[in-house]
Amino acid sequence: MEIKTNEYRVWSEGAEIHYEGTMRLSGTEAYAPILGLMNGVLAVKPKTIVLDLTELEFLNSSGINLLARFTIEIRKQMDVGLTVKGSTRIPWQSKSLPNLKKLYSAVDLVIA
Amino acid sequence: MLKSFGRTDFHNGPGAFATRIRLADGPLSLAWHHCAATADFLGDFFALRRATSQQAYTETRHGIGYLVNELLENAVKFGEPGDIIIESALDGDLFEVKIVNAISLETARNFQALLAELTASDPGELLIARIEANAADAGAGGSGLGLLTLMNDYGARLGWIFHDAGAGAGGSIGLDTFAALDLS
Repeated sequence: MEIKTNEYRVWSEGAEIHYEGTMRLSGTEAYAPILGLMNGVLAVKPKTIVLDLTELEFLNSSGINLLARFTIEIRKQMDVGLTVKGSTRIPWQSKSLPNLKKLYSAVDLVIA
Repeated sequence: MLKSFGRTDFHNGPGAFATRIRLADGPLSLAWHHCAATADFLGDFFALRRATSQQAYTETRHGIGYLVNELLENAVKFGEPGDIIIESALDGDLFEVKIVNAISLETARNFQALLAELTASDPGELLIARIEANAADAGAGGSGLGLLTLMNDYGARLGWIFHDAGAGAGGSIGLDTFAALDLS
């Protein structure tokens, strides 16, 4: 499963979801296809879902809200874990991703 | 009567490195693209003044780009048709930007109610509370989350001045949005 534009690419490989590029969509509705892809992975109920954001250079606040919503969705499902991978190279990740742990302390957040 | 919220005092003087951009009104898809292009440009433009290290350059470029993009997205999403003016200045570690656009009276009323709440609470706690509330309501658009992200995650100081509806304003009023960012 893959969503690709000139600005960004989102795709899944098994229970890993990869994000690449710059995502500045206009709001919840515009992000719905991305959330659809993520929910598709969740529907299979893997042991752990990995969000690989290490190549996502920019994500606007609507996109961060999408990650937060998905984290809360996983929090409701005791049998699915969540790992979020970020990069210290990309400033928004060190600033905003720790909020996901505030929403759900079991999130494995790795910013390396 | 003027109404103001948050921090609207600016400190950068005539010696600051400054720029002024006026974005012409246009179709939404183009205006959205202009938000991104303008934010990226200002990030690049000011970051060159802070290229003392790779980290200072990257932090400046990203911080200014993120701040300007969020504020311009709001101006385009919630504003009335018309030009948007962006005045920005950098002096040392202090970046300041003022965005001027027009909004409808109804938007002004709703926005003022939101700002009264945002400026009276701890942004970190309110951000998490708002995310939870949004997740519980599938139709919610995440109002205020961008501003709370700027305040909490970036330490931005934000302020707003709502101007009087002048004669011939056609039911819209002027909104000045102020933002200051310490880049040290």
